[in-house]
Amino acid sequence: MATPRARALLIIEDDLPIRRALKNALGDVADRVLEAATGRAGIDLTATERPDLVVLDLGLPDIQGVAVCREIRTWSPVPIVVLSARHSDAEKVQVLNAGADDYVTKPFSTPEFVARVRAVLRRARLAAGENAATIVEAYGLTIDLARRRVERGGSLIRLTPIEWDILRTLVVHAGRTLTHQQIFDAVWGAAAGSPQQYLRVHITNLRRKIEAHADRPELVVTEPGVGYRAELPG
Amino acid sequence: MRAWLWWVGLFVVVTVVLRASRDGLDVAHAVLTYLLVMLGGSVSGGRPLGFTLTGAGVLSLDFFFQTPYDTLTVAKPLDGFVLLAFMTTAAVTTELLAAERARAAEAELLAAERTRLIAAAEHAEALREADRLKDVVLASVSHDLRTPLTTIKALAQAGARQGDQNAIAIEEQADRLARLVADLLDLSRLQGGALPVHPEPNTAEDLVGAALRQVAGLLGDRTVETKIDFTEPALVGRFDFVQTLRILTNLVGNAIQYSPSQSPIELSVERDGDNLMFAVADRGPGIAPADRERIFEPFYRPASAVAGSGAGLGLAIARRLAELQRGTIEYAERPGGGSIFVLRLPADGAPEPL
Repeated sequence: MATPRARALLIIEDDLPIRRALKNALGDVADRVLEAATGRAGIDLTATERPDLVVLDLGLPDIQGVAVCREIRTWSPVPIVVLSARHSDAEKVQVLNAGADDYVTKPFSTPEFVARVRAVLRRARLAAGENAATIVEAYGLTIDLARRRVERGGSLIRLTPIEWDILRTLVVHAGRTLTHQQIFDAVWGAAAGSPQQYLRVHITNLRRKIEAHADRPELVVTEPGVGYRAELPG
Repeated sequence: MRAWLWWVGLFVVVTVVLRASRDGLDVAHAVLTYLLVMLGGSVSGGRPLGFTLTGAGVLSLDFFFQTPYDTLTVAKPLDGFVLLAFMTTAAVTTELLAAERARAAEAELLAAERTRLIAAAEHAEALREADRLKDVVLASVSHDLRTPLTTIKALAQAGARQGDQNAIAIEEQADRLARLVADLLDLSRLQGGALPVHPEPNTAEDLVGAALRQVAGLLGDRTVETKIDFTEPALVGRFDFVQTLRILTNLVGNAIQYSPSQSPIELSVERDGDNLMFAVADRGPGIAPADRERIFEPFYRPASAVAGSGAGLGLAIARRLAELQRGTIEYAERPGGGSIFVLRLPADGAPEPL
């Protein structure tokens, strides 16, 4: 993959064998892989070493993982990938709302984990580049973010304003899982009183317009119990 | 009944004795004696016995002890007054005694009820505590098992990268173990009513898309043909997305596992009255009539089950999850061969998009 190596990554995980395994797996991704066994040490290392990405286990002995995530977010935009042993969706939603970029549920496969880390790093670099693409092309679609247009094969696809806002929100954060709440706040604004379940109906309608097969979506994929994610190829 | 025999017998004996010595007695002696008998009767036999003895006392006083003897006439006004006084005293005391007895019985009942309530509350508290402990144990077992499994998988994958053939088998078995652990925990939570289900309005297409994505790894070059009417407004049901996704992926996963690899699998969704009806149809061998209900029992594996496929928990969990959402899962024989598993879930009045 053409992703350049990261300078340093930090793994905050109390279980030594897992930490070792992750460190080995991430050896190809970054020059240095730092380790912390507690939340406190992790926060300190994030501040002093300024890693390019933090891998955060939720079941830490001293501080709750969600609290670590919130704490780091108050002063750093460093990408955070969360490891969760409990398969509680509420917890994933909580940690994503707290500012995590992605999560992996234990027991996970190492290649999948490494792929997630690479994707999050790539996205962070794009976002840092500021001149993020305003035209996104994928699956035969051309999405022009500046001109608010979606085309397939040269013909314009008509979206309602809400459908457009949902699509734009997801595509701007492509690769990142956005919680129902985050999409809802971005599209309707935090003050809106409209029930969130409409979001699911709007997503379904949006897919019927932009996906080649609405029941096998490629671009707008569902993260069950958590939210939705725009998945761009490559 | 014993009280009646006893006190009526005593009344007769008292009457005989008093009657025998009638000439040496004042009426007042008889009145007082009868009152005592009546009081005793009231205490042990309640209102009916008390009033019966009162009535018998009035008649007996008039007949045996007031002149003229051995007639039921009341000759002097004073005699009438004595009878009336006896009757009133007897009636009032009987009534008072009966009311007191009723209050005592009620108090006893109340006390018993209170004891029962306290015991029930203590029992409920103990159950809650046991339930909480069970949750804690389940959560920690789940966590404690997942952590080493994660390590085993990570090490196996590292081994596989270095060309160790056994490593792939180790990883597969770790995955199988992880699935079994998860299923066992969920089944026990389901049976204890501890697996929360949150039905919400969700669209059928969203669910189907997520299910197909999850089984993509099992499909290989096989296909699942979907039948959804895209010309109609999106079908909205009221179900828990994550748990229903489990049901649907289990049904599609079974269809993949039990049908020949060149035969397609069909997944259709339509509205059926007040329900959404998801049907997963395959061209496998079908299920023998004797097994059609038993396949939904935990740990039941029909003779035709694929070796090593699982512990026989998938359909049991699926049915329980469907029922928790006021839904059903049923098996039907497919015309032309194969199985159809039909999942019904409550439909939602489609909300108007804003």
